[in-house]
Amino acid sequence: MLRLIIEKELREIIGAAKFAVTFGVCALLILLTFYVGAQGFKLSLARHQAAEAENKRQLEGLTDWVQVNSHRVFLPPQPLAALVTGVSNDVGRTIAMQGKGELTANDSRYGDDPIFAVFRFLDLTFVFQVVLSLFAILLAYDAINGEREKGTLRLTFANAVPRTTFILGKVVGAFAALVVPLLIPVLLGCLLFSNMGVNLTSGDWARLGIIILTGFLYFGAFLTLAVLMSTVTSKPAHSFLALLIVWILAVLIMPRSSVLLAGRAVEVPTVDELANKKARLRAQLWREDLGSMRGFKGNDSGKPEGLMAEFQSFMQSLSDERTQRMNAFAKQLNEERRNRKIEQERLALTLARFSPATCFSLATANLAGTSIDLKQHYLAEATGYQKTYADFMLEKTGMALDGRHMMFRMQGDEEPEPINPDELPAFAYKPAPLAAGVNAALPDIGLLALFNLIFFAGAFIRFQSFDVR
Amino acid sequence: MQDTNVMLEARSLSKRYEDSVLALNEVSFTVEKGEIFAMLGANGAGKTTTINIFFNFIEPSAGEARVDGIVTHKDPLAAKQRLAFVSENVMLYPNFTAIQNLDFFSRLGGRKDYSRSDYHEVLLRVGLQEEAHDKKLRGFSKGMRQKCGIAVAILKDAPAILLDEPTSGLDPKAGFEFMQLLDTLRNEGKAILMSTHDIFRAKEVADSIGIMREGRLVMQKSGAELAAENLENLYLEYMAGKTVEA
Ligand SMILES: Nc1ncnc2c1ncn2[C@@H]1O[C@H](COP(=O)(O)OP(=O)(O)OP(=O)(O)O)[C@@H](O)[C@H]1O
Ligand SMILES: [Mg+2]
Repeated sequence: MLRLIIEKELREIIGAAKFAVTFGVCALLILLTFYVGAQGFKLSLARHQAAEAENKRQLEGLTDWVQVNSHRVFLPPQPLAALVTGVSNDVGRTIAMQGKGELTANDSRYGDDPIFAVFRFLDLTFVFQVVLSLFAILLAYDAINGEREKGTLRLTFANAVPRTTFILGKVVGAFAALVVPLLIPVLLGCLLFSNMGVNLTSGDWARLGIIILTGFLYFGAFLTLAVLMSTVTSKPAHSFLALLIVWILAVLIMPRSSVLLAGRAVEVPTVDELANKKARLRAQLWREDLGSMRGFKGNDSGKPEGLMAEFQSFMQSLSDERTQRMNAFAKQLNEERRNRKIEQERLALTLARFSPATCFSLATANLAGTSIDLKQHYLAEATGYQKTYADFMLEKTGMALDGRHMMFRMQGDEEPEPINPDELPAFAYKPAPLAAGVNAALPDIGLLALFNLIFFAGAFIRFQSFDVR
Repeated sequence: MQDTNVMLEARSLSKRYEDSVLALNEVSFTVEKGEIFAMLGANGAGKTTTINIFFNFIEPSAGEARVDGIVTHKDPLAAKQRLAFVSENVMLYPNFTAIQNLDFFSRLGGRKDYSRSDYHEVLLRVGLQEEAHDKKLRGFSKGMRQKCGIAVAILKDAPAILLDEPTSGLDPKAGFEFMQLLDTLRNEGKAILMSTHDIFRAKEVADSIGIMREGRLVMQKSGAELAAENLENLYLEYMAGKTVEA
């Protein structure tokens, strides 16, 4: 019985004209995404290789490792980032390597090529997030109330059909009607990807597989929501309108406004405010010091040089103490600000997660390794390399470098040997491991499953008392 | 005592809708195997409501409807296994052909053993021209849809058939053929409950006729009892307010 209803649903949906259009657009967009992604990846790879070559070229001709002061490491482009962009184009890709101290990443893709910022939307996340959810609505907004309006619901329930079976068949049928055909362009896209010379590791394939499954789970959330709405309203026109409003809220408004809302709820002091506070403290400390300066008395040795030296050391100690207090205060302020920021981010994410669209984009970015953690991970990797680099330099030059010293060396008469750039250990970037990505994505995948469950349960309960006449 | 031949039974059936319209008021009747019971009555008399209760589309406010002894609102699935339905305005899937619709609803009704030729045969039997069998329902006229609906009911091969103004939209020839079809089905032993506005056809084919007015079954007589009477006059009398059985 269930199979019969699923079959009927499949045949009815696939036979309808709207399906041909829907599927065509979806398939085209998916293929286009893979194509554009592969192109973009190849371009990034070429740039990356050019940058590496240039980096190496700068070492050539140098005769002493001491002269090396512009060694840089780069975030290599990841093929999956071409499909799930995440923040991969926003993080700085270049780090100027130094022997010690904090590293900073610069030169994001969008910074270099603002044109990419304009086209940022065409990736798999966008196609799934926006297009697939719309099509879920289009396919299922009249699942139940449409059949009643057609009059077929009554004839169906003139037979011994359990309502549970019917609504289950409806949902499964509609789901299969789009998901199964969509596997074709997805597989074609994967083929296209590897044919265009983008090589995915087995780990990448696994990630991509889970990303696509998550996409279908997201589709399911909107599908079950559409079915639910078609049991709540009596006219398909009404459920369509309601769903459109929900879609705009969930896909367009909520992910954005939650950041604003969280900004309202949790105050984070601005940089200016911090600077203000610091300036006030500095002025106050200065006034205090001025007071103690007035009170300064040398110990009457009568010698002006002695007094001068004494005054200088007195001033120095005042200044040291001032700096120390200023630093402590600045540290405290920064920490407070950071904690506030973390709190704000957390609240924003919590609010935004009420929308399946947010859950979906967070999950896929985590799976693809392009979530907001990418920057931290890259910096951590680079910091790991920093140690190797410093050790190497220490070995070669006999001193710990921080690249800010002027060096003089005595040179003998003989012609100096050029250094061999290949000796410098290479920076081997390792993306965050698959398990970490999956773990980070799991809560959002779980939420998506929960959305499916809640909406289906709602539709199920509503349908038990639905008037089939 | 329960007569084992009784297939359909209404026992003091009452229905009050939410807006407090009393659509049925203590209606009782029985339909036996191999019997046709025709319900006559003005618009809004409660005919469709009665049929809806048999399919548990709505629950009775009081009393009960039974199919083969099964109380419909207590075990609707078991009851519906024994019922076939033709509504006054048959609606099928517009994107499916006549055959596809027949196939779906037959399977839904539990019959999985039909072949294409069975579907063709039944469609011809209800008078749907051959060239329409593989056309999508979207382009069908009301009468053509009605014929498909009747075919669906025949194919279900249930012991009881409930028809709500089945001949609405049928042309005279199809209407005539339909009455012959009902006759055959009765001879096969089906219990048939039909609501209709067609007094003459009802008298011709029915074994028993009931007249409903404002939710009450104001008259019920066998065909034999009515043979000598002018049913049309009788109907008008009852509509005018006669309540005592003549
Ligand atoms: N869903 C409903 N809600 C409220 N009242 C209803 C509903 N359906 C029917 N009624 C009322 O119940 C009464 C009986 O209606 P019913 O449809 O059973 O009449 P009928 O005999 O089938 O009429 P017709 O010959 O026009 O088909 C009418 O007064 C009608 O207005
Ligand atoms: Mg009616």
